[in-house]
Amino acid sequence: MAVSLEDDMVNCVREEVGENLVEAYKQRERRIFVRVKPEAFRDALHAIKKRYKMLRFITISAVDSGLDMEYLYHFHVEGAVLTFKVTKHKEDNTLESISDMFPAANLIEREISDLFGVKLLNHPQPEHGLVLTKDWPDDKRPLRKTFEGILPPQARPVAEALISSGCVAPISSFIQRKREDAGLPKSPAFTFTDEDAMREFHGIIRDVGLAEKAGFDWEKKRLRYK
Amino acid sequence: MVKYALFLGCQIPMRLPSIEIASRRVFNILGLEAVDLLGYSCCPEPVVSRLLDETAALAVSARNLTLAEDLGLDMLTLCNGCYETLAEANEALKHDAERRSEVNTILRRYGREYAGKVDVKHIVEALYEDVGLNGIRKHVTKPLKIRAALHYGCHLYREYKTSDIMRKPNMMREIAMQTGVDMIDYGLERLCCGYPSMQANEEFSLKHRLLPKLSRMRSKGAEAIITICPACTIQFEIGQVMLRSYGFQFNMPCINLMELLALSFGVPHRDLHLELHRSPVQQLVQKVLGVS
Repeated sequence: MAVSLEDDMVNCVREEVGENLVEAYKQRERRIFVRVKPEAFRDALHAIKKRYKMLRFITISAVDSGLDMEYLYHFHVEGAVLTFKVTKHKEDNTLESISDMFPAANLIEREISDLFGVKLLNHPQPEHGLVLTKDWPDDKRPLRKTFEGILPPQARPVAEALISSGCVAPISSFIQRKREDAGLPKSPAFTFTDEDAMREFHGIIRDVGLAEKAGFDWEKKRLRYK
Repeated sequence: MVKYALFLGCQIPMRLPSIEIASRRVFNILGLEAVDLLGYSCCPEPVVSRLLDETAALAVSARNLTLAEDLGLDMLTLCNGCYETLAEANEALKHDAERRSEVNTILRRYGREYAGKVDVKHIVEALYEDVGLNGIRKHVTKPLKIRAALHYGCHLYREYKTSDIMRKPNMMREIAMQTGVDMIDYGLERLCCGYPSMQANEEFSLKHRLLPKLSRMRSKGAEAIITICPACTIQFEIGQVMLRSYGFQFNMPCINLMELLALSFGVPHRDLHLELHRSPVQQLVQKVLGVS
């Protein structure tokens, strides 16, 4: 049986980037979305460009979700529309240009840079000033949102403590001393007192996507926003 | 001897250990065996976690429930919030095969499976049903002559076994009365203390939830507040301090039911570490028991 164009595109990306292909789905006939990790995006694009002769860059859409920038690269491929989705944390405020591969991306990348305040990398004209004046203040980009996740400020300590330690009320050394004075263990038998239990708890939290939803940084063990 | 898997939660052992100390002493006196759950996590906290992701909250609850299943014991909670979260999760997972399957798919990766084999009991149910009022009364050696107002806490009204939402609040009231306290009815028992709304609007929480309760309790002559929920205890204690900045002065001791029972059973007040309270509980006890 002949492989459909949509499946062929996904296979092509998968062969090139392997596990860096996060998801792929067909929205309807001849309309396909492929999400790849940022570090694999250029490789995926190279592979598609090499494979299809009838390939045309359409445009890039950028969406600021508060904590992340999502870039949607739209291409016309042999009568179908392929969109690459690439999400970058806003802590890394850069956008690597694809204008070396697709010169038509030059202007839209500059527009995104102006409106969202992201810094262009490997772009022939990386400076601001296409749709805004060159002296437009960096901290007042019209489409850039405040760096915030979905949790309101009051709920952040609770979520942060829950995800990092499995407990919403961190214990103080004063209370630990009082517990010992009373003949109790320094801390109750919480997840954080047992490595295996903690690993299991964190595994569950990762599996259900809670940390990602809350905007939790596993390396720093805290929310990405204050 | 009745045996339970004890779910301590977060607030009691970490912020109000005097309640844990009192509970363990009361269990010993009444012959309730409480086995500690090893490696438990937050129930999880019902407001933020469930709003953030319901499946995640259910999976965390289910993991805690499987710890009790491993012991083959029903779970006992000392906290209203933990009770609601765990009992509600237990009901949802027992009766909703699709959700159970979804949660078990996650738990199986860690060698766990929720089987729906245990029940979740609030401490007032265990005291009332397993020990009984007579069983409690016979241990009261130091009746406490206090004019007290009860605050049940919203989550104590959550009912999964019958349709009577007053079942557990009435149990709490009857248990408290065995200690000799003179109960003051103040008409605002059902009003929330304001703890959850503190996260959204501090002024509203303090002035429109806590203040009316405290004012009415005081006007009815209450000398103390009896709570069962640690979150409510925190709100009554810290809230009174915070209300000072709005021009309202209260100095009402807030004591947990388990501490009240322990004192009435003759447990020395010093053993209970009541100095950890942020309201004048020690002064109340000194006055009532005539000790310094």
